Amino acid sequence: MIKLLRNLLMGLLPLTSMGQTVTDGLMMAKNDLCTGVMYTRDHWSEYWEGELKRKNDNIGKLTTQSLMWVGAYGLSTKVNLIAMLPYVKTEASQGTLHHMEGIQDLTLAVKYNFFRHNMEKSSFRTFATLAVSTPLSDYTPDYFPLSVGTGTTNISYRATAFYKFANMFFANATGAYTWRSNTTLDRPAYYTNDNLYLTDEVKMPNVFDYAVSIGYLRNGLQAEINYMQQNTLGGSDIRRQDMPFVSNRMNFSKVGALVMYYLPKPKGLALRGSYTTTVAGRNVGQSNTFMGGALYTIHFSKKP
Amino acid sequence: MKTLNYLSYIFLFVFSSAMLIVSCDKDISNGEDFTPIKPSNIDADAGTWDMIVLTSPDQIVVPAPVDTQTDAYKAELAAVEDLQKKLTKEKRDIIKYWSGGGVLRWNQFLRELVARYNLPPAPLADGSYPAPDAENPFADPNFPFANPPYAARAYSYVSVAQYEALKSAWHYKFLYNRPAPYKVSGSVKSLMPETDIPAYPSEDAVLSAVSVEMLKALFPAAIEEITLKAAEQRNAALWSGKATASDISAGVALGKAVAAQVMLRAGADGMRNAVGTKADWKKFADDCISKGETPWISRDLPIRPPMLPLFGKVRAWNMTEQDIVKERPTPPPSTSSEEMKKEVSEVKWYADNVTRDRLAIVHKWADGVGTYTPPGHWNDIAAEYIHDANYSEVRTARAFALLNTALHDAAVGCWEVKFYYFNPRPSQVDPSIKTCTGVPNFPAFTSGHSTFSGSAATVLSHLFPEHSEYFEKEAAEASVSRLYAGIHFRADIEMGMKHGKVIGGYTVSYALADGAE
Repeated sequence: MIKLLRNLLMGLLPLTSMGQTVTDGLMMAKNDLCTGVMYTRDHWSEYWEGELKRKNDNIGKLTTQSLMWVGAYGLSTKVNLIAMLPYVKTEASQGTLHHMEGIQDLTLAVKYNFFRHNMEKSSFRTFATLAVSTPLSDYTPDYFPLSVGTGTTNISYRATAFYKFANMFFANATGAYTWRSNTTLDRPAYYTNDNLYLTDEVKMPNVFDYAVSIGYLRNGLQAEINYMQQNTLGGSDIRRQDMPFVSNRMNFSKVGALVMYYLPKPKGLALRGSYTTTVAGRNVGQSNTFMGGALYTIHFSKKP
Repeated sequence: MKTLNYLSYIFLFVFSSAMLIVSCDKDISNGEDFTPIKPSNIDADAGTWDMIVLTSPDQIVVPAPVDTQTDAYKAELAAVEDLQKKLTKEKRDIIKYWSGGGVLRWNQFLRELVARYNLPPAPLADGSYPAPDAENPFADPNFPFANPPYAARAYSYVSVAQYEALKSAWHYKFLYNRPAPYKVSGSVKSLMPETDIPAYPSEDAVLSAVSVEMLKALFPAAIEEITLKAAEQRNAALWSGKATASDISAGVALGKAVAAQVMLRAGADGMRNAVGTKADWKKFADDCISKGETPWISRDLPIRPPMLPLFGKVRAWNMTEQDIVKERPTPPPSTSSEEMKKEVSEVKWYADNVTRDRLAIVHKWADGVGTYTPPGHWNDIAAEYIHDANYSEVRTARAFALLNTALHDAAVGCWEVKFYYFNPRPSQVDPSIKTCTGVPNFPAFTSGHSTFSGSAATVLSHLFPEHSEYFEKEAAEASVSRLYAGIHFRADIEMGMKHGKVIGGYTVSYALADGAE
């Protein structure tokens, strides 16, 4: 039920930071393009039915894998454009339910570094990021926990603060309010929030998230630990032994670690890996998430 | 500088489009916003229509009302006038809600109750399943588990009870002919569409009382909501100038008394034994093995006892016990036959070749856990046509009673077949078959969806012949959705559809002879 990729798309996970992401305090230089592919494997065997943690033998272990293309471009030193597009596959290890897969949502974001202050050995920057995501394929949002996404168009308003000190350490804090459009089911009626709705349209609650991270950043190495929290601002709990539903109140807290390293050769190539675990949740799986990928930076401004 | 201009354009564009979407209203309408009904025919002879449970329309005695010239009645009129002076926006909304049709509103509410209680018990740590307890309905698991047979029966009992109560009410209305308050007094306004239907006893009060009694027996944990809704309906009748206090109290008494008669039938219809015992469950499998067939095994983990395996013995409405047996479909292909292998490979092909269009059909008709079930889906479909037909309350009740007795009989007939043959699901025969919706916890042959849909489409086509093509198309889609989903063989859906139409035919025969057409 927790869709890692959805979170990635909403820019919720600090571990997505490449050279820079929607959530971190890093920027691409002007005319630099960073692009690459990330593989993510997220799995859980227990989930929270409302606030009750349980197993379900008809699901067993739920695995969500994704392959995501990412790109970030420095329009200027102060404005970056970011894009992401994942292909997602979900699968249950037990029971009879069919797997799902498909292209999920395209995210486009503009990140603006509106304030920076440099001191001798430290610097402080703040950012405003606007991200829009929308489904690029007609996947069903009505098959949780196996749906590949919510089928909503999202608009995320994010603020980020970044502090680097002693020339090698950093602390980052980010928070966003995400507006989500309603979503549409293939059926003419559904039950949620103690009501029967005789329509195929589902009102989707908005989402608030925040994340903090601290780490090391020097000589092409970024290493951090992070904590993130998502709260869905509405929606109902999964009822006892019910199927999860797209507009459920999906909340979670996660901790993770991330390493990114620019190889000495070939120049511009970076490897990135992270691991995240869910420490608390509501109407989501208690998931562990591994991510690995490679990114390549091209400097368009420099003549070869 | 040029870059900066370019950037500000991007920002302007993105932000303004973002604000545009955000300013959109996300609130959704319920989708079934019934407009006020003014019946095209008041059905003055409804008191002569055939009674289903009651022996006659006057089995329950409703005493004659006082004359409209008496002081007692004038005091009631004054009370209505007084109430009408104090109508708030909230009260006017309630009047508007109920003017969309009492039977229709109760049907809508019943669909909601079914969806709310359609949750199977969760397994205990030892892998067993606790049974819902009618004596302790609020516990986990809630009572009832409103699964498709439970729901089919519930829809039918509520519909039949309402229909019986309204026929009886119509009998007395036209016997005593006491007009509505707004016809007696010029100072009482009519806030619902005016009709020539006499007011005593109030049909709204009859409906409120009969519905409360039936629903609180079927969904005891929802008692608060049920009683509040009923009180609201009676208030709407009073506030709208449609009924006085004595119209309402006579209606409540009649509704309650009719419900008591219908409950007597419900108590003795065999439902209390439908769960069966461990010995019953074993016998199904043993009988199947002795015939040389592979018996059904639950696909749920842990293995769940079958859903109401003796529901096939519950009393039907328009079919006798002998009819149920007589119409039982011929056996499905033997589980060891070549024909069955072909059927398995066809299901496997659909399971391995899911398209978006087929998935949409599967999910449109899944009507599984947490939904109003396939019978509810057919009530949903019917509601719009019944509303648009501008029926009187009693004819509306008849339409739902016909539909829901057919759906109940379909549930009885289909369950009898399922547990007679005890045939496995495709994913039991070939575990590599993955399904696009949950596998229902009962044998495959025949398909419940197909039987329900066949019977419902037959009855609705009889009621609304001009829309017959649409009902048949929907039924065929509901049926084939189960093959697309990977949970039924072709024999299940084809035979189920045929069987459903035969069952629906029994109800149509009844409808042709009940004096209402």
